[in-house]
Amino acid sequence: MASTLRPYLTCIRNTLDAAMCLQNFPCQEVERHNKPEIELKSSPELLLNPVLICRNESEKCLIETSINSLRISLKVKQADELENILTKKFLRFLSMRAEAFQVLRRKPVQGYDISFLITNYHCEEMQKHKLIDFIVQFMEDIDKEISELKMSVNTRGRLVATEFLKQFI
Amino acid sequence: MACIERASPALNQILLKLYSAEKPVEIDHHLYEFGSFKYHILCQACEPQVAYLSISTPPLCPGILTSNKLSSYTIELIKRLCPGVVEIAEATREGYQLTLRLNLTKIPRRNDYVKVIKEISTVHSVILSSQLKEILWNFNSDDAIKGMHKPIKLAYNPREPFFVIRQPPRIIAVFPIRFAEKSDVIISTAFFQELVDVGSLDKYTKAPPCSWSAIPPPELRGEAFEDLSTNGGFVSFDISAHHVDGKRLDKTVWNLLNFNAYVRFHVKTTKGFIQRRMRKRLENLVEVLHHTESEQDNEQITRHHGCSCTKGLLVKSSKYNILKQRWGNLGRKLKRIHFRVKIQGFGRFRQRWLRLPKFSSSRGYTKLG
Repeated sequence: MASTLRPYLTCIRNTLDAAMCLQNFPCQEVERHNKPEIELKSSPELLLNPVLICRNESEKCLIETSINSLRISLKVKQADELENILTKKFLRFLSMRAEAFQVLRRKPVQGYDISFLITNYHCEEMQKHKLIDFIVQFMEDIDKEISELKMSVNTRGRLVATEFLKQFI
Repeated sequence: MACIERASPALNQILLKLYSAEKPVEIDHHLYEFGSFKYHILCQACEPQVAYLSISTPPLCPGILTSNKLSSYTIELIKRLCPGVVEIAEATREGYQLTLRLNLTKIPRRNDYVKVIKEISTVHSVILSSQLKEILWNFNSDDAIKGMHKPIKLAYNPREPFFVIRQPPRIIAVFPIRFAEKSDVIISTAFFQELVDVGSLDKYTKAPPCSWSAIPPPELRGEAFEDLSTNGGFVSFDISAHHVDGKRLDKTVWNLLNFNAYVRFHVKTTKGFIQRRMRKRLENLVEVLHHTESEQDNEQITRHHGCSCTKGLLVKSSKYNILKQRWGNLGRKLKRIHFRVKIQGFGRFRQRWLRLPKFSSSRGYTKLG
């Protein structure tokens, strides 16, 4: 499993490096408005082809680019029901606090667990390679955190079960 | 956790307060507790050394224990609770099954009084345990002859009944598990798998073997549909003679009565633990994004005349903006201060000496390093 992680992350990193070439582009339809074109999708000429990178059936990353914005959607692996609920709870927790992350989207794209929206303003304020590092590191941290949470829940359950059965001895 | 402790915390507290009161206190309290228990405590100022404790409890098994009165075995066990202090009153208070007369003067004055009051507060666990023991001992002989042992439905908490089936030489206790939320079901299922795993270890051979299944066990076939429809499966414990031997009987009975409450408490605390951990992880993830201090120390920021080739940081320093905003607000407030007494020349003094320092802007010419 670990052998496919590095190539997967490297592929995502390289794709983001190529896709994160954003510039300011005012809205073509409404005067004096500046909107992320990837969210509107009203002008096909401003959109690039989306790229889907799959590690396996359950883990994938969708990168959608436009002239002034980029959307990254992630599907995290969920091996069993416990991981499923832990992932849902944790990612929903993060999404609700999206303002702390600036680049996080409040609602994930349908079919995915979490989404980022990066605009040209983010690229102006932040360094591009640091932003990519953050996204990749975030993906690693999420996987690690879900695994640790699952282990902690099982360990707690074991301790509680032990204490319950000790009362009979 | 109130429902698992044998002593009722509320009753314990009231009795301690009554006992340690310096002046005669009048008390007339009604208490309602887990398992539909009702207490009434009465103490009058004219008789401060005596308190009356009335208890009412629904029958543990409505199908078998049809009478509302407590059995003689239960009464016998209650009499053994602090014999000098607790007496059963002849006249039971209306609406209650039992009234106890507590003689507070007979409670020892030294450190033992806490222990004695705690023992009196365990009266509800004595009643429940004795009822379950009676049910387990008295079984229908007709059923035994035919080889059928009908499951007995017990309702300590009316919404969470469980079943007890006598199959000599063992007794099987089956708990149907139901939760409102799916996440609770999954957490509890993980717990039951750990319970079965731990129970199979050599170290816990003396504990009753337990098993979990998603479908009703064969012993419950024929029971009502609403009792068998669950989303958390069924947990079964095999109780043998060893587990109900001597002093172990009380512990076993009490653990069985409180198993559902124990599971729910574990699920609730696990959810709290997950929430705390997520919050802590959020702080770590956000810290990575806003980490600028170590980068500022390492980089040399050199600004040259005519151009600002500042090496960009990961995030615009938010601390700088916040400080600038606060100084700006303070400055505006100072300017707006309206002095009632006008002092000539103070305006100029304020302009010259009470001016706030300006911070260098990003386009300024500052050489560091």
